[in-house]
Amino acid sequence: MEFKDNVPIYLQIEQRLIKQIVQGQLQAGDRLPSVRKLAVAETVNVNTVQRALRELNAQGFIYTKRGEGNFVTDDETLIEDTKAQLIQQALTEFLKEMGGLGLDHGAAQAALTDYLRKEEQDDSSQH
Amino acid sequence: MTVLSIKNLNYSKHRKLILQGVCLDLEPGKIVALLGANGAGKTTLMRIISGQAKHWHGQVLVNGKQKDEERKACVSFTDQLSGFSNGMKIAQIADFYEQVFPDFDREEYRKLQQFMNLSPDARLRELSRGMKEKLIISLTFARQVPLYLLDEPFSGIDVMARKRIINSILLWKNEQATILLSDHFVNEIASVLDEVVIVKNQTVLVKQGADDIRAKGQSIEQYYEGFYQEDEND
Repeated sequence: MEFKDNVPIYLQIEQRLIKQIVQGQLQAGDRLPSVRKLAVAETVNVNTVQRALRELNAQGFIYTKRGEGNFVTDDETLIEDTKAQLIQQALTEFLKEMGGLGLDHGAAQAALTDYLRKEEQDDSSQH
Repeated sequence: MTVLSIKNLNYSKHRKLILQGVCLDLEPGKIVALLGANGAGKTTLMRIISGQAKHWHGQVLVNGKQKDEERKACVSFTDQLSGFSNGMKIAQIADFYEQVFPDFDREEYRKLQQFMNLSPDARLRELSRGMKEKLIISLTFARQVPLYLLDEPFSGIDVMARKRIINSILLWKNEQATILLSDHFVNEIASVLDEVVIVKNQTVLVKQGADDIRAKGQSIEQYYEGFYQEDEND
C-alpha cells in the first residue's frame, strides 16, 4: 500500500486501521493479523506497526490478550464518536475546498443540493 | 545498550583521509539506512565495522566487543563475493560459509535460498546482478548475529528483485537484530526504515528517526537531499 512520504508512517497505519474499524471492515472482537504479517503486507518496519498498535491500544480501539494477539474493541460509543469525528473532518475538508473555489457556505450547500438532484435523476433514468 | 558504538574513528589509506571523527551509536532491533554520495566512505565504514579494514584509529565496539576477531563473530557482512572464483556453484559457497561461520544456520539458509529462487547448482558466473544480490542477502541473513551490514543491496537490480529483498529483510530480521544498509538513493526503502544516518565529507553528520523527519512535514528524500544541495549551489 502507498504512503504519503511526509507524514509519519505509524500515524498513517493508525488512521487506516481506525477507518477500517469505523467502516466495519474490522468488527468488534476480530483479531488483527500479527505484527509481522501487517509489516510485510504494508512493506513497513515491524517497529512502526508496533508503534501504531500501541497508539490504538492507548486510545482504546484495540486491546491485547496476552499470547493471543490484538483484538478490535466492542466499545460502540468510541466507534460512534470516531465516526462522527471523521464525518466532521470530511465536511470541513469539503467546505475548505469549496471556499478555495470561491463558494461561501450558502453557495456550497446549493451546489451540493444541485449535485444530489442530478445524481438522483441519473439513477432513476438508469433503472 | 548499543549494538554498535563508534567514537572518534579516523581512517586514512595511502595518506588519503577516508573517514574522520566518525561517531555513531546503533540500538538493537533497528533497520537503519547509511545514506551518502558515492565515495562518501560508506563501504569503508562497513569494512571497518566488520573487521576487514585495518589500521584505523578510535573506538569501534560491536555488542561491546572491540577486538577484530570478537567483532567479526557479531557482524554478518558479505563483501561482494570477491573471494570466490566464478566457476563455483552456489551450494559450494554455502558450504564454505557453513565451515567458516559457526553461527551459519543451514536450515535458515535453505529457506532463504528457496524464497529467493536460487538454484544450488547455478555457478557464480551465470548469475545476474539481481541473483548475485539475492545470494549475498541469503548468505548474510543465514548467519545468526546481532548486526547485519548490507552494502548497497538495491543498486542495479529490477523492481521485483528489490521487492523480494525488502520482504526478506522484514521476514528474516530477528527482533533484536539490527540491520545497517547503505544506499545513495532512499526512495525505494524509505518505508521500512527506523532511522537514517547521513554520511558526507568523510564523516557521519547526523542520525535521525525516519518518522521524526516525516513529523516535520519532510520526506526522507528531501531531508537527505538537503544535506547535498548546498554543493550544487556552489
